[in-house]
Amino acid sequence: MAIEDNRSFTHPLYDFMLTVPGLSLATGRVDQLLTWGLTNSLWIFPMATSCCGIEFMATAASRVDIDRMGSIVRGTPRQADVMVVAGTITVKMAPRVKKLWDLMPEPKWCLAMGSCAISGDFYRDLYPTVPGIDTFLPVDVYVPGCPPNPEALMAGMLRLQEKVRLQREGKWAPKESRPETAKMIMPALRRINDPARDPSVDKAQLDSAMKVAGSEPLEEAPTPERMPPRSAEPVPIDGDLQALLTAHGVTEIPRDAPPLVPVARHRDLAEQLKKRGFRQLVTVVATHYPDKRDKAGLILTPEYYEVAYALRTVGRGSQLVMWRVRFEVPDGIDSLYGVFAGADWQEREQFDLIGVRFAGHPDLRRILLPHDYAGFPLRRDHASDAPCAPWR
Amino acid sequence: MSVVKAKRQNPHFRLDLYEPEADLMVLNFGPQHPSTHGVFRMQLHLDGEKIVKAVPDLGYLHRGVEKLCERLTYVQITPIVDKNDYVSPMHNEQAINMAFEKLLGIEVPRRARYLRTIFAELQRMASHLLWLGTFALDLGGAIGGGASVFLHCFRERELILDLFEEVTGARFHYNTHTIGGNRHDITPGWAQSVKSALAVIESRIPEYESITLSNGIFFERTKGIGVLDGELALELGITGPILRASGVDHDLRRDAPYHAYDEIEVKVASAEGGDCWARSVVRLAELRESLRIVRALVDAVPEGPICGYKPIKLVGQVKIPSGQVYSAMESSRGELGTYVIAGGGEGNVSPYRLKIRPPSFHALSALPYLLPGHMVADAVVILGSLDPIMGEVDR
Ligand code: SF4
Repeated sequence: MAIEDNRSFTHPLYDFMLTVPGLSLATGRVDQLLTWGLTNSLWIFPMATSCCGIEFMATAASRVDIDRMGSIVRGTPRQADVMVVAGTITVKMAPRVKKLWDLMPEPKWCLAMGSCAISGDFYRDLYPTVPGIDTFLPVDVYVPGCPPNPEALMAGMLRLQEKVRLQREGKWAPKESRPETAKMIMPALRRINDPARDPSVDKAQLDSAMKVAGSEPLEEAPTPERMPPRSAEPVPIDGDLQALLTAHGVTEIPRDAPPLVPVARHRDLAEQLKKRGFRQLVTVVATHYPDKRDKAGLILTPEYYEVAYALRTVGRGSQLVMWRVRFEVPDGIDSLYGVFAGADWQEREQFDLIGVRFAGHPDLRRILLPHDYAGFPLRRDHASDAPCAPWR
Repeated sequence: MSVVKAKRQNPHFRLDLYEPEADLMVLNFGPQHPSTHGVFRMQLHLDGEKIVKAVPDLGYLHRGVEKLCERLTYVQITPIVDKNDYVSPMHNEQAINMAFEKLLGIEVPRRARYLRTIFAELQRMASHLLWLGTFALDLGGAIGGGASVFLHCFRERELILDLFEEVTGARFHYNTHTIGGNRHDITPGWAQSVKSALAVIESRIPEYESITLSNGIFFERTKGIGVLDGELALELGITGPILRASGVDHDLRRDAPYHAYDEIEVKVASAEGGDCWARSVVRLAELRESLRIVRALVDAVPEGPICGYKPIKLVGQVKIPSGQVYSAMESSRGELGTYVIAGGGEGNVSPYRLKIRPPSFHALSALPYLLPGHMVADAVVILGSLDPIMGEVDR
């Protein structure tokens, strides 16, 4: 067997087949039949993570109906030939994608649907996003778009069929040319079909994927110190919100921002407001302000956090009340967990992204980022394009 | 109408306190699972078939949108937030632009407010149709072939997407709203196309109801499953159809009107069960209500400009030196809020901090309360009835 420069090859069996009359014809026919069967039954494993996944569903649904090309959608990698990666792949998801790809039986193909899968789209430079799945998977067909129309995905499947047919015939299938836009910005990691790619990256990615057993235990949550009490009956608003705020240490009510409440009084304020009918915890927003220094490097204003809370009354004429709490960086703030059960996740999210510590929170762990992620991404001093080996 | 009451579970239940001799099993659910509505993972601790504790794990789609918004200018943000709740992009655009308009103190012209209302309601219909289709898939082939409901719903959803495509040129991710109004005006025959699409959808709603709500198996699998206490829902910040299904009569369209909702009466659908059944009933009722609103408004669109702000020619044109606002609207899933702190970027062209308050994040936070005590098969139904969109949960 020799692969020649024109990328066609001959198998030693062929010479034997040619000597037996009629045999090559018969095997050729069988081969054609198999090729026909294979190209028209490319079963799809949808790696649908986000918006492109919805367009993928539309492609599988009534109007476009990808089933008529023989491409049935299967929910398990064991029964599929093509992995359609539709959507953004993040550093938390990437090991899973790699692992699922490894679970698919050969022969297998990969189709990158949408600019997120191709290059990371406009999330490419951001800390949690993988800049294109071909930094860890061999991609056969690229379908550009944000999202690609169902028709574009169909066309992509047709191109894949053509490629599979050529491969079966032993012809060299031309390498899929990447969409021009993706060429303009190359990611930090070399593409998987790049000859100069560092093999140690492959190993690191594989190791990371193998660590994802799928059922590794999450850290066990500690016991809460305070259990949420049953809420009292709602008291109608008696109107004098301002007096309440002043009683809790608010000195002035700014016109373009929520009032500032002293750290020590804020939980008490939340309890009082809840009694007055503000029963819905709408949102918790933490913000980080870095320190300001003069030219000599002396600190003018120290680094601080601001946490804003919003509560709402329900029903007609719904009212919103907000307040802010400001404190310097190593300090924490009292959690509202005992007052509002929703503080559990909302404060955890702000801890994850900003790093604010909430005292008395029952379960202060990371919620969005991988549990071993270093740093708090939404702080001002965290680079928005921070790398995250081995995925970006 | 009374607020639903149910026993409150302890989400931080300690497993070593569970009958010590019981043999607990851990079942990993997701992140790649056809029923997780995206990439969501849960760890279910099981005693036989019964769920003892559920530990959700999010963030598989955390794309860093809030950080990205700090780097972009106000003008550039609209197409980015489209991708958060990718089942109702119109609502995302409207929510973010409403916040910027509030910061700038801009009045939106009446015609644009009408168009926004029509778009929002059409989008709500598309979103609820998608929910119904995928929820039926979650329930499985039991309900007369779950896939047929899915196919029916997508058939009708395409009609709505066609309407949007006619106006904006995109099937979704429209980028059609801008600060102060809309970017694209409707075409002359559009109202007629809307009405014919609505007629088709309206004629098919009874069909959906007959294959879901009047189906005995659908009833058996949803009634009494995942009862959410109304007071707990409020504390968790749950809004939208889930809250209304728990007996709390609250809808921002009526209670804090925006767009043109102060000119039209919104009949808020609510139910009393607090279970998966009630949530389905509320969403189907909302489908009818949205249809009614669109039909009432589409002929009444007033003449006038569609944008109340000077034409935007430069990305750095909108400058906001200071201020903090929270603005909210009712998306298909509940209160979609935006908290903006102005004054970031070179020359105040970007927000200093932008936080999106996604309704689905709050909806998912109910899972540790809802799941314990149910069977594994119910986990999929409960998750489906919450209608989470991971894009906006993780952002
Ligand atoms: S390419 Fe666009 S539509 Fe597709 S997942 Fe990315 S952002 Fe969403």
